Amino acid sequence: MRKVAVIGAGMTLFRRILQETGKELSFLATKMAMEDAGIEKKDLDMVIMGSAPDAFDGIHLKGENLLDGAAAANKPYVRVFNGGGTGVFAPIAGWWHVASGVADVALVVCEEKMGSCFPHPQTAFRHIWDPFLDRPLNTNLVWLFAMEMNRYMTVHNIKKEDIARVAVKNKRNAVGHPCAQLPDENITIDDVLNSEVVAWPVQRLDISPPSDGASALILCSEEKAKKYVEDPITIAGVGWNIDSTMWTNRDLYFPRYVANAAKMAYKMAGIDNPRKEIDFAEPYDPFDYKELQHMEGLLLCDKGEAPILTREGVTQRDGNLPICPSGGLLGVGNPIAATMGQKVCELYWQLAGKAGKRQIPTDPQIGVGQAWGDIMQMGTVIVMKR
Amino acid sequence: MTFLEKQTDPTSPMHWRGNMQADYLYLSGVAGDKFFKHLMKNDTFLATKCPECNKVFFPPRLYCEDCFCEIPEEKWFEVPSKGSIKLFTIATIDSYGKKLKEPKVIGLINIDQTDGSLLGVIKTDKPDEELQGVHVEAVLKPKDKREGTLKDILYFKKK
Amino acid sequence: MMSMKKEGYPKYAPGTHVSRKDIRNKNKTYTWWEPEVQYSWAMGPAISRFLQELKNGKIIARCCNKCDRVIVPPRMFCEYCYKPTDKWLYIKDTGTVETFSIAYLDGDARRIKDPILIGVISIDGASPQHGFMHYFGEMKPEELHIGMKVKAVWKPEKERTGAITDIKYFKPLKGGGK
Repeated sequence: MRKVAVIGAGMTLFRRILQETGKELSFLATKMAMEDAGIEKKDLDMVIMGSAPDAFDGIHLKGENLLDGAAAANKPYVRVFNGGGTGVFAPIAGWWHVASGVADVALVVCEEKMGSCFPHPQTAFRHIWDPFLDRPLNTNLVWLFAMEMNRYMTVHNIKKEDIARVAVKNKRNAVGHPCAQLPDENITIDDVLNSEVVAWPVQRLDISPPSDGASALILCSEEKAKKYVEDPITIAGVGWNIDSTMWTNRDLYFPRYVANAAKMAYKMAGIDNPRKEIDFAEPYDPFDYKELQHMEGLLLCDKGEAPILTREGVTQRDGNLPICPSGGLLGVGNPIAATMGQKVCELYWQLAGKAGKRQIPTDPQIGVGQAWGDIMQMGTVIVMKR
Repeated sequence: MTFLEKQTDPTSPMHWRGNMQADYLYLSGVAGDKFFKHLMKNDTFLATKCPECNKVFFPPRLYCEDCFCEIPEEKWFEVPSKGSIKLFTIATIDSYGKKLKEPKVIGLINIDQTDGSLLGVIKTDKPDEELQGVHVEAVLKPKDKREGTLKDILYFKKK
Repeated sequence: MMSMKKEGYPKYAPGTHVSRKDIRNKNKTYTWWEPEVQYSWAMGPAISRFLQELKNGKIIARCCNKCDRVIVPPRMFCEYCYKPTDKWLYIKDTGTVETFSIAYLDGDARRIKDPILIGVISIDGASPQHGFMHYFGEMKPEELHIGMKVKAVWKPEKERTGAITDIKYFKPLKGGGK
């Protein structure tokens, strides 16, 4: 397999509703990535689109709808998706296009327009449940995460305030992000703990907002990458794994599918001791407790240890193991697939020293990004190196 | 591999009925908003021209999908709400498969002075006549009834 | 590289924010669409039997002889051994709360005053952590806890339709399980 480098990235503003169509958002993100890499449409060999369920945008065959805005007209093109896992899975698909040698330069675009779905994007989420066993109970997806969070807190005896710290950190980190939807430099733990109880233990400020947005990434074979950039950032490893859909038969406190995906990626990257070798991480944080569970799934700490590291400040941007320096989904927003902007583009910006106000001060060399999706069962992992 | 037991009792329930209810509000987008707002006040269409390859997009777009460049403000221009029929079909059933009272002619109309086209209903007294290449013009709702959607175009008719 | 550090990426944030007010006031044009699609989902033999047994007031599981699991909700294949499951087995209508939530948000994302008590119950007689999601009742929200023993409360026989809702909810199990 060939080595694959990242040579450009772009993303749009993230907001609850953006005026642009999905095509127009894809164009804006793609154009920024092309400018960054210094390439044009003719230089692209293939295009990969990542976008989560069609039911958000309300357009079936959404991949086909979006393609002309994603520089894919008359190119080899494919859309991939696995729910929330898509933001990292789409660049993984891009990686295999280039690593296999079928493409030298591949563009990865991720788009989501959740603002189209009424009365609320939750309405679309309702259709991911089992129609016989779950939907007749008139389910809300937040219940599912509330149940998972409760189980995680109970098994490890975690206090709610130690989970709220994650929301505070990420919303504060997002202050330096020009695309951020909910940055807040003054937010406190009490703000989170006093926010509306939506489905105990989940409170309003524990949740990332639904968003419209798009992001783009340009991948290139390492040898060709030198043509465009001096010190390319490379993809060192990728991994993905999925657990059984029968979620009521699973333990619900440790994401073993994330651990399996992480082991696959670490093996490829030659990482034996992730805690020592990885400098920072962008685990998926649609809810604050998910960042903690995912740090454990990524084997960056022991089970139940992530809240302690967070309390001790280890996961702050200037800590020993910065987590979600982008501001994550909690701070920047959650246009499902387009969170590639925080989970993968951010790795590139941080490793290239381009993150500006969000830059980790300790000169990071290796970062890991991760996403999570479907019915709490999909783990997608990418390791990038300077 | 085969299941060790099969469902053979025809009286036992085998299906569960339901729907996938959700409503959608599709914003017209940046280019679409400009197009529809123009149409609410005028009887003409707007189109955009790519500054690099000179392709004329209709409905107008913000960008050229081939050159992948943004189309600037000065490349927006008015075109008449007229065109020639490129493709057509005579529908006898609706989208639910129900028989229509009267056959309906649906056509793809190449809009004059552009490289684009629009799907529309074609009103004609003789549905069986050859319509390929026939020149038609849009019949629009009265200005005060227009809402900024495709429904502001009632139908196309022969000039 | 050093000069780039100060600049900061992404360099700009393209996109046009639209508020709910913009939409209400029709400042932006849009098209409204209400899709109408009806489905008839095939339940398959396992769930079909499971729901039929709920109508009889019983919970039924499938067994895998290879991994020795008693599986509920039942399925005709074991996804781990990847072989057909082997036999049916009636299990109890009591169980243990694996996890729960006290929901102030209903299925349509509407705020509600009286919370819905919802959780996952592992059913007695099935393998550990084998069960399904359901409501809780006849208890105060503060009584509900992980590890609590609960028992199904069934709808009257005449009202049952062969659905998961033939069980109304699970209530606290007291006095030794009878």
